[in-house]
Amino acid sequence: MEFGKFLAAPEYKVTIVTYRDIFQSAVMEGSRFSEEYLKLSAVIRMDAGDIKKLGVKEGDTAVVRNDSGKVIVRVGSSGYDASHQGIAYMPNSPWSNVLLSADTGGSGVPRYKGIEAVVSSAKGESVTGVDGFLENTMKH
Amino acid sequence: MVTLLNENYHVCTGCALLCDDIEVVTGSGRITEVKTACRKGVARMKGCSEPMSPTVDGQEVDIDNAIGAAAGILSNARSPLVFGLGNSTNMAQKKAIELAKRIGAVIDDTSSFCQGPTLEAIFNENIRSTTLDDVRNKADVIVYWGADASNSHPRHFSKYSYFPRGQERQRGWEEDRIMITIDIRRSHTAKISGDKFYQIPLQADAEFIDALIDALSGKVPKVSFGFDIKRILELANILKKARFGTIFVGLGLVYSIDNMDPVVKLMDKLNEMSNFHLIPMVGHYNMRGFNQNLFNETGYLNRVKFEKGDSTDVQHGAEFSIVETLNNKAADAALVIGSDPLSSLPRVIAEHLLNIPVITIDPCETFTSRKAKVTIPSALSGVECGGSAIRMDGVEVKFEPIIETNRPPDEEILTRIMEAL
Ligand code: SF4
Repeated sequence: MEFGKFLAAPEYKVTIVTYRDIFQSAVMEGSRFSEEYLKLSAVIRMDAGDIKKLGVKEGDTAVVRNDSGKVIVRVGSSGYDASHQGIAYMPNSPWSNVLLSADTGGSGVPRYKGIEAVVSSAKGESVTGVDGFLENTMKH
Repeated sequence: MVTLLNENYHVCTGCALLCDDIEVVTGSGRITEVKTACRKGVARMKGCSEPMSPTVDGQEVDIDNAIGAAAGILSNARSPLVFGLGNSTNMAQKKAIELAKRIGAVIDDTSSFCQGPTLEAIFNENIRSTTLDDVRNKADVIVYWGADASNSHPRHFSKYSYFPRGQERQRGWEEDRIMITIDIRRSHTAKISGDKFYQIPLQADAEFIDALIDALSGKVPKVSFGFDIKRILELANILKKARFGTIFVGLGLVYSIDNMDPVVKLMDKLNEMSNFHLIPMVGHYNMRGFNQNLFNETGYLNRVKFEKGDSTDVQHGAEFSIVETLNNKAADAALVIGSDPLSSLPRVIAEHLLNIPVITIDPCETFTSRKAKVTIPSALSGVECGGSAIRMDGVEVKFEPIIETNRPPDEEILTRIMEAL
């Protein structure tokens, strides 16, 4: 039996900022059910140091979760030179929307640019697929 | 109103820039090549790979049956919700408002959780705006604030704001224009700004605005985060000297402030000493049209509830936003037109749509349509049907269809639903 199994994967708290990506938007025009759309959407872009702390590599899968829901996405590097520890970026997509809170303080505006969540390695697990979004709930 | 410069030009409905210089090649009833448009525009005009079919309960039916089923759902609903319309023509939007009135619906659009506050300030004349044509001809200082046009409106710089020569800007970006970006990350847009990129922390926009106002007023600016004060003074100096300045406001700024007061204050200050305008970076091609059409009708640009049978009784407020309507489980049926709330709203909120009958009108399948009770395929604006729309700066743009289709435009579908009620 693998000893590592008994060690909890390190968890890391992040504040997620969503953004738009032209390549992803263009692919969405063609099909939001395509592999390509999933590839360009289901990603969390992190600070290089944070990726190390998580004990994962770029391209590995990670679970991102909070009280609102949970998604499995790929880890990518933000590519920014300046360090942005604790801040992560996700393209605006159904995947990032799983993590948004229902509580808007009655304002009607969800917090798309400051989502508190926890990231941990999901080595071996695959990215949340489009079918997940057609299920009745994504709160796990 | 924009008139096309060349009769072979078409309009792209990929975003609210509504580029009006698009050339296409057609073949076997499809657009096979798109010239001049950006990546997103090309993809939009070529059409999607999952066109929607008319269905009821997942079974394919003819369109008349789908329209009949939609009318049935809306007739029986006590508190229906009408949502979307950012990808519909002005005529279709006016029809949808009429329908919402008839059935006593809540009607809302995506501006409710994006550029609504900015447009409201412009409609109520609290903020001075301008046209993109004036920006091209006159603007010497342009500011992208929380906006990444490179990704959201890829031809913004080249068609209007930074790169082109204009009447009073014959030397274009090299000498005649300064482009500033204020953002929390070094976006692609920020990179174009070079050393005129001002990176601020998350949620610090209001504080940065205050510091900027102080600097403009000749006071020493202060911020609680590490930032070189000299750079704030330098920025204030550029803004002060602008002969024709324009701030393009993106969601980064809108989401970071509680209301538009800080922006109004900054604009007032700037206009005491120079000449500044503001344009919201509207996403969907005719979201501003919907806001304008509803505003003309009711005095509100979104989040409206009509009382059934009484066209004068109009309520407005956050509780009639799509987000709170779904949060409060206050809708018992939804008509979604050209939008995909199951994909764009917080999942926990959108889940209420899975518990009520939903009707979607769209050219393409969406997450929402796959869970809808009734789906009605419609023509793609600007490609399969003509009409008019309002560009992000408030200018009306007309367009003609390029290819033929047997799918009816939104407007016709809505008219037929109303007839069948
Ligand atoms: S910038 Fe917008 S309107 Fe212009 S081609 Fe691209 S998607 Fe179409």
